[in-house]
Amino acid sequence: MRYDSITEAIGNTPLVRIDPAVHGLSHIDLYAKLELLNPFGSVKDRAAWNMARPRLAAAPERGGQVVELSSGNTAKALAVLAGMHGRTFKSVTNRMRIPEIKDLLLLLGAEIEELPGQSECLDPTATDDPLTQFHRTLSEPGSTYLHTDQYFNPRNTEAHFTGTGPEIVKDLDGRSPDWFIACVGTAGSSTGVARALREHDPAVRVVGLVAAKSDFIPGIRTIDEAHEVGLFDPGTYDTIESVSADEAIEGMLTLNRRCGILAGPTGGAAFFGALRQLRAADEELTERQSAVFIVCDRVESYLSYVRQRRPDLFGRPRRGNSPADLSDAEIRTAPALGVADAQAWITTGEPLVVDLRSPYAYAALHIDGSVNIVDELFEELLHGGLPFSRTRPVLLACPVGEKSARYAALLTRMGHPGVRSLTGGIIAWRDAGAPLVRD
Amino acid sequence: MGGQPLYLEPRLESRLRSLADSPELLHRLTDALGSPLNMVVPDQLADNLQQFRSVYGSHHLSGQVFFAHKANRSSALLRRLAATDAGVDVASLGELQHALGAGFTPDRITATGPKNPEFLWLAARTSVTVSLDTRGELDQLATLVRKHALPRTRVLLRLSGFEASGVRVLSRRSRFGTAVGESTALLETVERHGDVVDLVGVAYHMDTTSLTEKATALEGCLRVLEECRSRGLRPRAVDIGGGFGVNYLADGGQWERYTTELTEAVLGIRPPLTYGGHGYGLRNESGTLRGALGLYPAHRPIAGARYLDELLAHPAASLGGRPLAALLLDHLYDLHIEPGRALLDQCGLTLTKVLEVRDQETDGPLAVRLAAKADDVALEDHGVLMDPVVVPRDGADADRAEPVAVHLFGSRCLESDLITRRTVFLPRRPVPGDLLAFANTAGYCMDFHATRAQHQPAARKAAVWQEGDRWRWCLDDQYWPTTPVGGAQ
Repeated sequence: MRYDSITEAIGNTPLVRIDPAVHGLSHIDLYAKLELLNPFGSVKDRAAWNMARPRLAAAPERGGQVVELSSGNTAKALAVLAGMHGRTFKSVTNRMRIPEIKDLLLLLGAEIEELPGQSECLDPTATDDPLTQFHRTLSEPGSTYLHTDQYFNPRNTEAHFTGTGPEIVKDLDGRSPDWFIACVGTAGSSTGVARALREHDPAVRVVGLVAAKSDFIPGIRTIDEAHEVGLFDPGTYDTIESVSADEAIEGMLTLNRRCGILAGPTGGAAFFGALRQLRAADEELTERQSAVFIVCDRVESYLSYVRQRRPDLFGRPRRGNSPADLSDAEIRTAPALGVADAQAWITTGEPLVVDLRSPYAYAALHIDGSVNIVDELFEELLHGGLPFSRTRPVLLACPVGEKSARYAALLTRMGHPGVRSLTGGIIAWRDAGAPLVRD
Repeated sequence: MGGQPLYLEPRLESRLRSLADSPELLHRLTDALGSPLNMVVPDQLADNLQQFRSVYGSHHLSGQVFFAHKANRSSALLRRLAATDAGVDVASLGELQHALGAGFTPDRITATGPKNPEFLWLAARTSVTVSLDTRGELDQLATLVRKHALPRTRVLLRLSGFEASGVRVLSRRSRFGTAVGESTALLETVERHGDVVDLVGVAYHMDTTSLTEKATALEGCLRVLEECRSRGLRPRAVDIGGGFGVNYLADGGQWERYTTELTEAVLGIRPPLTYGGHGYGLRNESGTLRGALGLYPAHRPIAGARYLDELLAHPAASLGGRPLAALLLDHLYDLHIEPGRALLDQCGLTLTKVLEVRDQETDGPLAVRLAAKADDVALEDHGVLMDPVVVPRDGADADRAEPVAVHLFGSRCLESDLITRRTVFLPRRPVPGDLLAFANTAGYCMDFHATRAQHQPAARKAAVWQEGDRWRWCLDDQYWPTTPVGGAQ
């Protein structure tokens, strides 16, 4: 396979059969269309390229910025495509809740504008909602923006009608599957593929999956949000079902761990929704059927999303010397000193004063002669053992004396004989009128 | 009316629940004091304050909780608050006089908002802290202090226009505060007036439900405070305003179902859910939904003190990723907040009497006319959709009740005098003489909009409290923190 441009690698993704031992269906062959293997990482590569290609080619001399309302994969693909053609890309969104994708877009040179949250004090006469302003800017005379308009652009659907759909038919030896299951985002892939499949066999049953209303699954809309999409037509789907974030992650884990398909939560939602739909149908069947779902992107970008919802998946073995191991009694009886005693001790005993606050706060104001080791770092150090000699006395200070008490207790337990916590912390120090410096 | 009734039942905590379950008291009061009638529950305000205080406690933060006075002009509420350790944020001369008269000492008052010379003078005269929006306002204050030989005045600088690094967050323009990009000039002005003003800290108020926007603003404040310190100023506090929100509805499922059906009604998939097909900002453009739903997110699991907790736990992306609370604490800053609505959660209800119940078309919604004007129950003005509670005049047979759809009209002779544009579903058909109780109106939805135009009365206000299992009451302006003990009735 030799290509002249990365854009030629868009499309022609594999259709992989899911092991029946995993899905447990006895009469249905279930296939995953691996859109995650597109060069920029998702099903959106197809639509982005199809929408942008003619216009990027048409006016090479005019410059102009590519803009799109996108929170993720379309933005990623368009950022790359714009860059390849000497343009910049700007994404305007109110849905970008995945930090990894935000960072990746910035890395690719995209500008991101986030729409503000809802107004707390509602003004029914407000005319300046940012989305309206965005459209106003686009339609200004002389504007050089190249707006791909994925929610309304028929070339979005077309990419799948001429690409994704026919590829599925080809890989199923010229037949349409009996079932097609897709998540609804821009509705471009589900609508385009459904149309292509129905041309071959009008009997294909199309299942649209939306996110449960109180949930957030990246790349999928809720049913209300779907109505805001120009390409969305409820008539495309034989049924529309909703999937929860937990279910999407469950599906994702099965694909990741048991099928070797490193799908993200959207692919997981499609798999989960497909199985839920097909299990019921499978029991009634006597002849063989086939079903296809789309795996739209990869898991790597969603680690923080998954961590937030399923911290258990990231459990690590417990480590030694952790403040979490301390009992309340140990913390209560940790050696401590009040401000006046601490001041005297600093003069006579010359303890090492360790300030556990953040470097910014330390830089602003601190006890003269102290060193700054921010608490998170300090905890890391302690996992490995005592970070100072037993012969050197230590005074620990934090804002209110709470964290320093924990660490004083821990250091004492670890065998340090001369550690003290500053009671009431730097705030008590300040309130007592003791000197703080910035140097 | 088509399909199941779409209820939006209010969230009623124990005090409001108990009040709504006291039909005899409510009818006696409206018989005596008229309809509409506002009831406020001062003790609830003290409890709400404690919830915010416990969030401060769990983050080891100190600082003041200032009640945003404009949310309700009740004297009872203000006097009850004066008996706690809270502060009050006043935005007019009248509110400042009210706060001083209710027992707030100047160290517990902050003056904010647009200020006229009288307001500014009284604030400086009584040594309350003044939150300033612009350099011009600072100059004006300094001139006033010098000219009238007033005491040195403590000031906060209100900032706006914060920018997140990397990602540009579009924000609605605010006419309050100085853009953070111009803070250097502002600080120079503070230094120039160093003989008459003391800088306490900086402030922001953002009209948004978004946590990340507020977190960005708080990070921006920390940076400006650092600049203050590097200039040798000694700021101690950040005032982050309010906007923590209220969860109005009992059931999130009802809210989700309602908004979905509203969407479908706008698209013509189901029969209309509003008077005249109003879409609350949504519209149908050839089958596609356009516009934005102009409604308060009435079901909000994270609101009030919990919202503050989440904000404080939010990592400060541009300052090493530590939670904002940890940064405030590290820097030894006090946190000031100014919740209005959230402090008044569950603190009041508005009673209205049913005057007329009229059938319109067959199976269509009933027309229910209330002895109240739309501006007396301002839920609609604030985009809050919430059902009233029916308080029957006579003990009704709940078992034989059939749900009905109604349109609620006000008593003013204007076509536009609708209490709500929404078709409201009630569990039973009301009859003249019944009361409809609108719960949880104390924050902005009680007297913020009420007028006396057309010589229609504005609601009177009564304060209520519990002694044992009995409800006691007095007129709002008769209430003092000593009243409940004294048992005036």
